[in-house]
Amino acid sequence: MITIPYLTALTTYFSYGLLFAFGQLRDFFRKIFDWWSHNSLQGYAPICLGLEDFYIRRLYLRIQDCFNRPICSSPDAWFDVVERVSNDYNKTLKRTTRVDRCLNLGSYNYLGFAAADEYCTPRVIESLKKFSASTCSTRVDGGTTTLHTELEECVANFVGKPAAVVFGMGYATNSAILPVLIGKGGLIISDSLNHNSIVNGARGSGATIRVFQHNTPSHLEKVLREQIAEGQPRTHRPWKKIFVVVEGIYSMEGELCQLPEIVSICKKYKAYVYLDEAHSIGAVGKSGRGVCDLLGVDTADVDIMMGTFTKSFGSCGGYIAGSKELIEFLKHSCPAHLYATSISPPAAQQIISSIKVILGEDGSSRGAQKLARIRENSNFFRSELQKMGFEVLGDNDSPVMPIMLYNPAKIPAFSRECLKRNVAVVTVAFPATPLLLARARICISAAHTREDLIKALEVISRVGDMVGVKYFPAEPKKQQLEGEGIKTD
Amino acid sequence: MANLYVRAVMPTDLNRNTEWFTYPGVWTTYILILFFSWLVVLSVFGCSPGIAWTVVHLSHFVVTYQFFHWKKGTPFADDQGIYNRLTWWEQIDNGKQLTRNRKFLTVVPVVLYLIASHTTDYQHPMLFFNTLAVFVLVVAKFPHMHKVRIFGINADQ
Repeated sequence: MITIPYLTALTTYFSYGLLFAFGQLRDFFRKIFDWWSHNSLQGYAPICLGLEDFYIRRLYLRIQDCFNRPICSSPDAWFDVVERVSNDYNKTLKRTTRVDRCLNLGSYNYLGFAAADEYCTPRVIESLKKFSASTCSTRVDGGTTTLHTELEECVANFVGKPAAVVFGMGYATNSAILPVLIGKGGLIISDSLNHNSIVNGARGSGATIRVFQHNTPSHLEKVLREQIAEGQPRTHRPWKKIFVVVEGIYSMEGELCQLPEIVSICKKYKAYVYLDEAHSIGAVGKSGRGVCDLLGVDTADVDIMMGTFTKSFGSCGGYIAGSKELIEFLKHSCPAHLYATSISPPAAQQIISSIKVILGEDGSSRGAQKLARIRENSNFFRSELQKMGFEVLGDNDSPVMPIMLYNPAKIPAFSRECLKRNVAVVTVAFPATPLLLARARICISAAHTREDLIKALEVISRVGDMVGVKYFPAEPKKQQLEGEGIKTD
Repeated sequence: MANLYVRAVMPTDLNRNTEWFTYPGVWTTYILILFFSWLVVLSVFGCSPGIAWTVVHLSHFVVTYQFFHWKKGTPFADDQGIYNRLTWWEQIDNGKQLTRNRKFLTVVPVVLYLIASHTTDYQHPMLFFNTLAVFVLVVAKFPHMHKVRIFGINADQ
């Protein structure tokens, strides 16, 4: 549930209408101009229909300098952002040699493994020397090294399932696994805010897709009952299988999934649960084991657990964890296992070492410290932002916090002003988010110190005042003094 | 006015091109844009209010016909072209007919027509053009016209 000030909603619609109108006007004149000038490619069909890339050409390219910023150092708490200049109003951008040292509030670096780590990096370099940078083969041909088997055991242990299989790319894990698990005659019920990889995988599978309202177990039950009663479209035969796909932490909202209720509903109606823990594995939970640990759900109740290593482990790749029979089946039939290159050995070693650090098996308590630090950092940052009057989404303990901007003009204003003050934030607009709900998404890391967070808060507060995104009234400091006065009485 | 908040529930519409229409504030913005364009026409042309309403009605007809009933597809490529054969009107609410949004959008041209004809005292030739415009718009929004292409106009190759 997002609370929008009414006037902001009206002005946002008006702004988008104006941008759309100007874009159409420019397209109209461009069409006339092109019809006049001679085109050398006669008789060829256009690569894309004029309407299809309207958003990219007329809205996205205008504020292109806020996205895709190149960096030239590792994405630690502070990193180097390359400056770019444009001579033709942001249609093309050129890199300069100037570099800014900025505070990193955009990388998925939840536990601080993104930069050199004292335990992980020496071992990664050793495995690079021993196994070289790539296996140059698929898993079934010659790409399964001892590292890969060790990694799969390690991941299965960490997640709490009997077996796991690991792939080289997180997006490809979702989009290649869903077509293998379910086909025509099956039903996929997915949350309305699921990630693009799940949507692509579901579309590619050929199953019927139904959507339930974001994080609302009662609506999920309603959709399940309706669909089970109706059966397959047109033939009305019973469904072959039903999958309910949810995510652990939703990356654009920072909200935790209501897993206990959803799992109990799925058990009641005998549907399989597919949990995508891309953002929550390693970052939440007492020992970092993800959203099942945090919410107290038995991992045996979740049928398929998927996750990626990009966020908390400082590596790349994705995994699927489940029962031994499921993993055997996937290893025999999943195209990402049979035809795609296996995960790079140094990346695999990084995951193994980081899991050891998180579990404390390297002999120090750094893992527990990191987990405590990210929880403290997230809660501190979120409560301070809310006190200042920003509209921040997400639950407590979640390291992802989107600050709502709404108006399309505030997106580049916020982004550029923060960059001028050496704070790098990621702003997200349509079509990754709904049209009205543009936001700046902040990802807190265990590598951020208290001073970093205080500096970030000062900059964001200053920029928020300038841009006008403090939609809620700020908590006055006088209230705290009054409260203390009452206590001493 | 600054403290008036609305709650937005995430809609279950996967089509990003049309789901913005389900959020609060759209209807008010639409009506306010029409009202302000009437004021703009009045100030720019300095004509009588009736002529201004006629101008607003006819330009509303051109704009909404072009964007709701002529242009097909979505302005971005993320959805891999599954809506490329459908106009915006056929896409909203996932093709379900007679929803609240559709009824609202059908009523607006009719109300505009009544205002325009009343303020011009039902004189020709404004009455003729206004009637033609509202007739075309309302017929295009009938449930029976869903995915119908008369004489192959605007059909795909």
